[in-house]
Amino acid sequence: MKKLLSVSVLIFLMVFAAACSSGGDKEASGSGDEGEGSSWTPENSIEIVAPSGAGGGWDTTARMAAKMFGETGIIEQDIGVVNKPGGGGAVGWAYIKERNSPYNLFVSSPPILLVPLNGQSQYGHEDFTPISNLIADYGAFAVKADAKWDNLNELFEDMKKDPSSITVVGASSPGSMDHIQFVKIAKAAGVDITKIKYVSDQDGGALTSLLNGSVDVYSTGIAETVEQVKAGKIKVLGITAEERLEGDVISDFQTAKEQGIDASFVNWRGFFGPPDMDEAALKFYEEKFKALSESSEFAEIRNKYGWNEMYMNSQEYKEFLDKEKADIKGLLEELGLAK
Amino acid sequence: MDVFQGLAQGFQVALSLDGILFVLIGVSVGTVIGMIPGLGPITAIAVMIPITYGMDPAIALLLMAGVYYGAAYGGAASSILLNAPGVSEAVATTFDGYPMAKQGKAGKALAVAAIGSFVGGTISVVFLTFFAPLLSKVAVSFGPPEYFALMLLGLTAIASLSEGSTIKALISGVIGLMIATIGIDAQTGTLRFTFGSPHLMEGIDFLVIALGLFALAEVTSLILGRKNKMDDMHNVGSLRLTKEEYKEMGPTMGRQSVLGFLVGVLPGAGGTISSFLGYISEKKLSKKPEEFGKGSIKGVAAPETANNAANNGAFVPLLSLGIPGSGTTAVMLGALIVLGIQPGPLLMTDHPDVFWGVIASMYIGNVFLLILNLPLIPYLSRILLVPRPLLISLVIVFCVIGVYAISFSTFDLYLLLAFGIIGYLMRLLNFPAAPLLLAFILGGMMEQAFRQSLTISNGSLSIFVTSPIAGTMLLLAILSFIVPLIKNRKAAGKENIDKSA
Repeated sequence: MKKLLSVSVLIFLMVFAAACSSGGDKEASGSGDEGEGSSWTPENSIEIVAPSGAGGGWDTTARMAAKMFGETGIIEQDIGVVNKPGGGGAVGWAYIKERNSPYNLFVSSPPILLVPLNGQSQYGHEDFTPISNLIADYGAFAVKADAKWDNLNELFEDMKKDPSSITVVGASSPGSMDHIQFVKIAKAAGVDITKIKYVSDQDGGALTSLLNGSVDVYSTGIAETVEQVKAGKIKVLGITAEERLEGDVISDFQTAKEQGIDASFVNWRGFFGPPDMDEAALKFYEEKFKALSESSEFAEIRNKYGWNEMYMNSQEYKEFLDKEKADIKGLLEELGLAK
Repeated sequence: MDVFQGLAQGFQVALSLDGILFVLIGVSVGTVIGMIPGLGPITAIAVMIPITYGMDPAIALLLMAGVYYGAAYGGAASSILLNAPGVSEAVATTFDGYPMAKQGKAGKALAVAAIGSFVGGTISVVFLTFFAPLLSKVAVSFGPPEYFALMLLGLTAIASLSEGSTIKALISGVIGLMIATIGIDAQTGTLRFTFGSPHLMEGIDFLVIALGLFALAEVTSLILGRKNKMDDMHNVGSLRLTKEEYKEMGPTMGRQSVLGFLVGVLPGAGGTISSFLGYISEKKLSKKPEEFGKGSIKGVAAPETANNAANNGAFVPLLSLGIPGSGTTAVMLGALIVLGIQPGPLLMTDHPDVFWGVIASMYIGNVFLLILNLPLIPYLSRILLVPRPLLISLVIVFCVIGVYAISFSTFDLYLLLAFGIIGYLMRLLNFPAAPLLLAFILGGMMEQAFRQSLTISNGSLSIFVTSPIAGTMLLLAILSFIVPLIKNRKAAGKENIDKSA
């Protein structure tokens, strides 16, 4: 009897211990010496924050980068990935701002431009130090395989004639990526973007809604469309890349530019450090990310996920972000979404 | 390739040494994770992705699938023993599981849950084996108007989740709907009721509400009530079920295996909604609905069967269409991509070893889970024999860890405390908590589906009746709302006549 009791208590203790450790570890002790000299090397383990739950794009990029840094030996210190979900990224950004340590980096992509413009975060990319951009993804606009449109121009012509007859679906809310990438291309084609009918489906139903004909156009990432195109269920009218991409099926996708619409949208992904990061530390990370981007091991990862190489150093990255933000701001203002 | 050939190939994968080993690891990890609140299968699988890198894709997927359906087994334990659901699909299990534990029948309740999970898991795998390609048509037949109708149908069940006052149940439901609106509105991107706090921007997590309203409120009433003894405790670990009890729960499990599976096939619906629908539909079908909520075996069997069946159902859109039907299957899809496999409509022909290997592994995994779980029951049940003050502290620790593990935010802990207080007040005033939770789960999706539909139709409500599926379900919803009212009125009328006579 007593034995049984202790066994059951033991089981629960183990359970709790497991729960605690899953939450508590990887909290790198942040505040190491930054050093005055021109070179900086980390003395503690490094933490990369994915400002979202486990399993999404940010999380995957962060985990893969951390894993490859370790496997290739580019960075010798341990790198842990921590999820700080909430507020579309705002919770994670506030955390980095508060830590303000060169041992705390985070991964980001266009939402760090969009979320503050939508009035959902007090911090934007200007509040942090862009270290390096690493990869890029592009948007795709898909319709059902038997739809009457065969290219973007036909679709946009119909949208100009009767905007109420065409519904666009995406997985994120208006003012965020799936919406903005479509709006940006449509505007360049001369569509009145304030009349576009856009619905957001965040419960995984966007593709099904397209397949069963509830909606007409699906604005998403290229990777999401490939298998469905192969199976002949949907067709891709256009993608948002600057140039044709390589890859099975993907090489058939026409860019908007090829179709005479002068606009593109890149879903970039890169890494940021705390505000006013120490020069020496920034230089250290910049070099390491460059080495990672050039390694054959990371090339293999890019290949597997269908990511494109898009390395930018800190300076290039910063200028790129400022320009992107100005572009998007214009669109959001026209849509009445900017705050 | 015909089904049997495929299945034979699948068993070759699943019965290999690696196959058996990783299924066993998967279901064991899943069981433990299900028991720990907050640490759901999504997190576990996401953390596994780097580990599976380089593994045979079929083995990697059967490992992850094992974690997924294993978690639905493990989830029942804390619901039944502590009234503290560790995963959202185990919430409906508390309705009758905890009352059973209070009556000293914890072992029995856990046994029913384990057997229900096994039956639901196994029958649904058989469906998955034979009808996956066929059912993939069902999976894409639901658009926004159909989802709205389904959610509304589920919501009409609020009345049947109430004990006593229907008005109070409805008030409770409305509060649930209101809480569901907190956060960024998906259709406009507007912030609603966040009061400037980034912690509220993604809404309130379901588990915060469930643990507060159920576990913390229960603990509070135990402390304040100074009730020292639960009822009869000496047989707490016994899992013996009588023949009558088997007979009683048999049809329930059969029905819920089918219903749960079908709900699981629909992307977005999933284990939580199926467990609620399972509970409610069994209560409606039962000849003795008054037993539900007071420790009915059927009340435990229904949600536990349905949620396991739904988890397997979610593999239909994933494997046959490449469409993830739930958060967890979405993460699995990501993991498959890393392994060089693009899940999509061609998976079955391009990678039959993966497709059939996973299906075959589920047969084995379910047997493992039953063997693993039944012997644990007497030990787990004895947690109830721990002295009361210790047990109460344990429950509180359990809730706090569970909520903190969701997003590592202390803000959620204050919310938990608030919901604990609200839950206790609701008990004092006899407001049922279940309708609040049900409305919260269904409300978010229902509102979004309603507004998506209206955007598509340019504002015309006719979109809800022109679709035959949506129309039928709306009709059912109206009936399920009106019929009990008429019955009550008739019963009341009869009573009056009897009195006057």
